[in-house]
Amino acid sequence: MNRVMSSMLLSLALGGCATDGFDMHRLPPETPAADNAAAIQKATVQAAADEAARRERSNTPDAPPPLTAADAPPAQTYDPWQRLNRFTYRFNARFDEAVFLPVAQGYRWLPSPIRTGVHDIFENLTEVDSVINYTLQGRLGRGARSLGRFVINSTIGIAGIFDVATKLHLAYAPTGFGTTLAKWGMHPGPFLVIPLVGPSTLREGAGLLVDYGTNYGIDLGNIYRGDPSWGVGTVNAVDERANVNFRYYSTGSPFEYEIIRFLYVRKLLLEDAGLHRQAIPRKSDPTVPAGE
Amino acid sequence: MARMRDLKLFQRRCVAPALGLMAMFLAHAVVAGDPQPLQAPAVTGPATGLANSAGLRSTVFGTPPQDIAPLPDSVPLLEIDASMPWARPAPAVFWFDKKLRVWFSAQEKPAPLAIVIAGTGGDGDTSALSTLRAVLYGAGYHVLTMPSPTFPGFIVSTSSTGVAGDLMQDGADLYAAMQRIVAHLPRKVRITDVDVLGYSLGGANAVIVKSIDAREHKLHIRRAVMINPPVSLFASVGRLDKLFAISIGSGDTGVEHLYQKLYAQLANLYRASDRVQIDANFLLSAAAQVLKTDEEFEAAIALEFRLDLMNMFFAGDLYAGTGVVTDPKHPPRVGDSLEETARILRGKPFSEYFTEVFAPYYLAHRPGSTTDSLVAANRLDIIADQLRTDPDYYAQTNSNDVILDRAELDWLKATLGSKIVVYDHGGHLGNIGERQQVADMLDMLAGRWHGVSR
Repeated sequence: MNRVMSSMLLSLALGGCATDGFDMHRLPPETPAADNAAAIQKATVQAAADEAARRERSNTPDAPPPLTAADAPPAQTYDPWQRLNRFTYRFNARFDEAVFLPVAQGYRWLPSPIRTGVHDIFENLTEVDSVINYTLQGRLGRGARSLGRFVINSTIGIAGIFDVATKLHLAYAPTGFGTTLAKWGMHPGPFLVIPLVGPSTLREGAGLLVDYGTNYGIDLGNIYRGDPSWGVGTVNAVDERANVNFRYYSTGSPFEYEIIRFLYVRKLLLEDAGLHRQAIPRKSDPTVPAGE
Repeated sequence: MARMRDLKLFQRRCVAPALGLMAMFLAHAVVAGDPQPLQAPAVTGPATGLANSAGLRSTVFGTPPQDIAPLPDSVPLLEIDASMPWARPAPAVFWFDKKLRVWFSAQEKPAPLAIVIAGTGGDGDTSALSTLRAVLYGAGYHVLTMPSPTFPGFIVSTSSTGVAGDLMQDGADLYAAMQRIVAHLPRKVRITDVDVLGYSLGGANAVIVKSIDAREHKLHIRRAVMINPPVSLFASVGRLDKLFAISIGSGDTGVEHLYQKLYAQLANLYRASDRVQIDANFLLSAAAQVLKTDEEFEAAIALEFRLDLMNMFFAGDLYAGTGVVTDPKHPPRVGDSLEETARILRGKPFSEYFTEVFAPYYLAHRPGSTTDSLVAANRLDIIADQLRTDPDYYAQTNSNDVILDRAELDWLKATLGSKIVVYDHGGHLGNIGERQQVADMLDMLAGRWHGVSR
């Protein structure tokens, strides 16, 4: 009974006020001055990083041969489960609008240092998957970097609350089993919209499951199998949602599913192409949809 | 793509193309009472209007963050979803667009209200609106940001026709929506005056709204400022059509080639970088490296407009029942694939929207109108007298704006006189939020503007 009452109160709190066909929701305030300062800072850092990458490229004799337009995958995407995917996409949109987004917006009222600390803790936990998967991918340097980040942030950074490693120029660069499968040569497979998670492909979905299984098996700090697992899982989900700048149907477009599918799979294919630096991926066959 | 659903839809659309086209052609002929096919407005002059190389680059990259005017630390935000009683029933595929979504930032004390309208295809929270919201709030205004009447969410939730792009009709719908929203703002909000402004097409919408208010006196709008407005809506978009044809190519094939070229360039940049994931930072950095020539910037500008047009075309076709890409008797249902429709639409220019959707609809609903009169009704000179004589209309534009040609800029200067400022840079919207633009805009809104003194 208490749960029912709590749910009703929560719904009322999250729903804002609605009168005469009007729904009003108070959002966390925007912070334009800080956002613009961050944009200036980012542009400066980016310019320096691009310049460093350009210098490194010019000193690399075994740069991969460039791709040409003929190597681009077809504009069509492999989506044999489209009917189900579209249904799931709509379900996700409705769930997000009714539950996930309001909770994430509520979470954003918390002071920024608290949210950053929580976010850093969860990022630190993903380093375990990164170390394992970089090793499986044969990218031992990156694996060592992830291990270094994990050790530093778990100790000096007090269980990951503070991201000390980034300040020491060890940037966060997560990877998972989906990427490992890609490195081993597996194509993305059919497009797949996962309930509550969002756009994915069969390969990436399987990767997520394996990543979760790995975490469950290791059960770091007893947070995956112990009593707090539900609470930790929920906070993790809310933290992730609060840090994703996407809103279903904010495009207003009836073609949003097509647009998101196109962009998501192209992003994945570009990342796959980046994994095979020394060999050009097979020439695309225009009769085979991208991802198949 | 072995999808039964797709196959059925595809068959439905492909088995009867001749019937559909014939019906469409006949409908046009009957509506227009003229056996000649409708003609889109002719476009003369360069496709890039007044834009030079710098103008094209500013149009794509926008205002550099270091040039943005001082912004406040914090801006409160209220998201409002409002239903409009006069709206037409929402088609099934637009189930998510039934309410008009706007954003409101309230001052604690009595203050003037600035209503800001987005440009073509923009919702009520674009980055340009976000910047304008911040500077206006920082200057002491309550701020209400609204989508463009060409945004699908507006077309479905608020438009009384469903066929966007008519200045007066869109202005009337905007004006009605503004009244309803202002009447429902929280009671503690105390408004001393109302000003309207907008950028690009939103600028033209803003002055039309003020001219309607001058007749109806419902909002008592004090001043209107347009930022980078078009003079002739159809001439501006006709130029963008031409730009698309030149820089990308006609039809779907051009888009396909552009995609392949962009993909290869992005893949090469990504492979050469040290990044693990593609994120916004990578894309921003890649844009600076992929776009180099004027032609590439032109393609980017033309493509962005085409993507906005797709939504407008689809919604208009559905509401007007013109049957260009949707079957009026069997409109698409929730869950139907729109892939084939999107593929067809991305190859369709604005001129086809005009001849196949816009003109047939308005010719049928405005007795005595002609295609020429429809084109003429979408020029700012329908309110030239007010623009010329009323001291409360203002404009800001750039001498290298892609949506204007020389004659149109001259017309704006001659009509508005000292009430217009023309910057020598910025292209189209590439200096919005810049210190000088913001200072001048605030002077105009406050009635402190006395012409360019610099």
